[in-house]
Amino acid sequence: MSSMLALQDAATPFVSLDPNGPVDIIGAWLMCFLTLSVFSFLYKDNPFYKVAEHVFVGVGTAYFALQYYKEGILEPVRDHMYDIAEVMGEPGASFSLGGYDADPTIAFILRAVAAIFGLMLLTRLFSPNSWAPRWPLAVMVGVYSALKLTGETQSKLVLQTKGLMKPLVPENVGEVGWFPDGVALESTPLFLTIANAIVVIGVICALSHFLFTWKRGRTLGAVSRVGIIVLMITFGSMFGFTVLGRIALLIERVNELFDLSEPDYAFGTPFLSPPVILTVLIAGTLTLFALQRKEGTDS
Amino acid sequence: MAQATDLDRRWIFLAMGVLVVGLFASGVSSPMPVSRYVSDYYDTIEALPEGSVVMLSADFDPASAAELFPTYQATIHHLMRRGIRVVNVATWPAAPPYTRKAFDAIAPAYGREYGTDWVELGFKPGDDVAMAQIGQSIRTTYPRDDRDGTAIDQLPLMSEVGDSFEGIELLLTMSAGYPGILEWIAQAGGRYDMTMLAATTAVQTPDLFAYYPTQLAGFCGGATGATQYLQLVANSAGTATIMDQAPLDELLAVKEKNQKRMVIQMWGHLLIIALIVLGNVLYFRGRKAVA
Repeated sequence: MSSMLALQDAATPFVSLDPNGPVDIIGAWLMCFLTLSVFSFLYKDNPFYKVAEHVFVGVGTAYFALQYYKEGILEPVRDHMYDIAEVMGEPGASFSLGGYDADPTIAFILRAVAAIFGLMLLTRLFSPNSWAPRWPLAVMVGVYSALKLTGETQSKLVLQTKGLMKPLVPENVGEVGWFPDGVALESTPLFLTIANAIVVIGVICALSHFLFTWKRGRTLGAVSRVGIIVLMITFGSMFGFTVLGRIALLIERVNELFDLSEPDYAFGTPFLSPPVILTVLIAGTLTLFALQRKEGTDS
Repeated sequence: MAQATDLDRRWIFLAMGVLVVGLFASGVSSPMPVSRYVSDYYDTIEALPEGSVVMLSADFDPASAAELFPTYQATIHHLMRRGIRVVNVATWPAAPPYTRKAFDAIAPAYGREYGTDWVELGFKPGDDVAMAQIGQSIRTTYPRDDRDGTAIDQLPLMSEVGDSFEGIELLLTMSAGYPGILEWIAQAGGRYDMTMLAATTAVQTPDLFAYYPTQLAGFCGGATGATQYLQLVANSAGTATIMDQAPLDELLAVKEKNQKRMVIQMWGHLLIIALIVLGNVLYFRGRKAVA
């Protein structure tokens, strides 16, 4: 009874449909249940994890389908064509198409062709070997390749090469010296010179590891070996950052569980906090299952 | 020794869990030194004149929100405090609920208004193609806003933004993977010579060092970068004229929490290092014993 009264008096609502509002009580219990259910997989695959997995897939599919329907069909086809149709009859009217003014009729036809291409892609659903999806696919591959090729060549080759042409001795070293006071170690000219030299030597050595047309003699072999070390350091750094990211995610979930153990979500008493109750419930059920299975195996 | 090498990996999970929960309960926190990458991220925003327009792309989802949402909130505080106007877009479908929540909570506290100081254009599918199209013609890509379907030309802020990123001083992205910062660099940085800043997940951070500082003016990598940037924004928060203290208090709380997380993070890393060393010692001793 006292719990019910506490529930009525609580500042946190039991159910709230405001997406920008604070977490409601039902939401808090659900969040705890799903988080702990996913963590239970660390013990082993179990029904709690399966429930969380299925809920995630279901909710994710619904949300993504709606978003893509709205942004991929409703807006670019229905709304866009409606906008064009509105100005189509007006004398001297033009419609902005990719930043250029175009005749509304041409703009309408182009968008209609794109929509027809979209429908042609769908024919694969009932006729896998049909010619129809190949046309839009060819356009997509062509456009995507051109976009990737131009953008990536500029950013990953031209500008990276330009970025590699670093001065070994910083220009301001004459004024401030190699190791000026009050400057962070990583910003001192000495540090930058060493760092730049390592980058240039590292790139040359790593690239030399992929020279397969020449016989790997003493010099090339030695340079290539340094290249391998550079690559291993890179992979190590990637692994380190991955660990950093994964632990950060774990800490965030634990933080969330701590936040949801506030009395607001626990009917006014610390003993009924969602993480505590649900941990006991899930761990208890899994232990019970494990004991039953053990008994069954023993007998 | 055979017992140690056959250790069930669940003991490692348990050790990590106990460590994280225990340290969280203890509440130890510590400030962090700020790296030059994060300091450049902050300084680039500070150097923008008041009234500038920037594009902020939310390229993350709930799975990466732990690392990126604090930086996103701090960036909005920073931009709104400085009177910088924001065109808000997203290339990840799950990002818009986060962006609306953050802007609605923070921007009005600094007296900023929707349509004049920030616009919400929403998610656009198409990855690289969508990014290229946003650069080529924002009006064709987003004929309406995502908030209530207002025609883009009826939003006062958008009268200052043209095709080919005309009027946009800076492009910021909160990037969790593909599509994200690397695609923005290729489609906007390289093509239109845009100044770019990024906040990324830790997993993506090693890729960014190669782009700094030629193609990327600064970046906040993972939870570490987020904490450093939160410190910088929170320390300068006192200079702002604020109408509602609540979002600022929340920012300070997030900063405190992140500082606490960094201590836990450090101990987590030490545990992993210890386990790697132990694993190698046991492996070599085992090999010696076999020989």
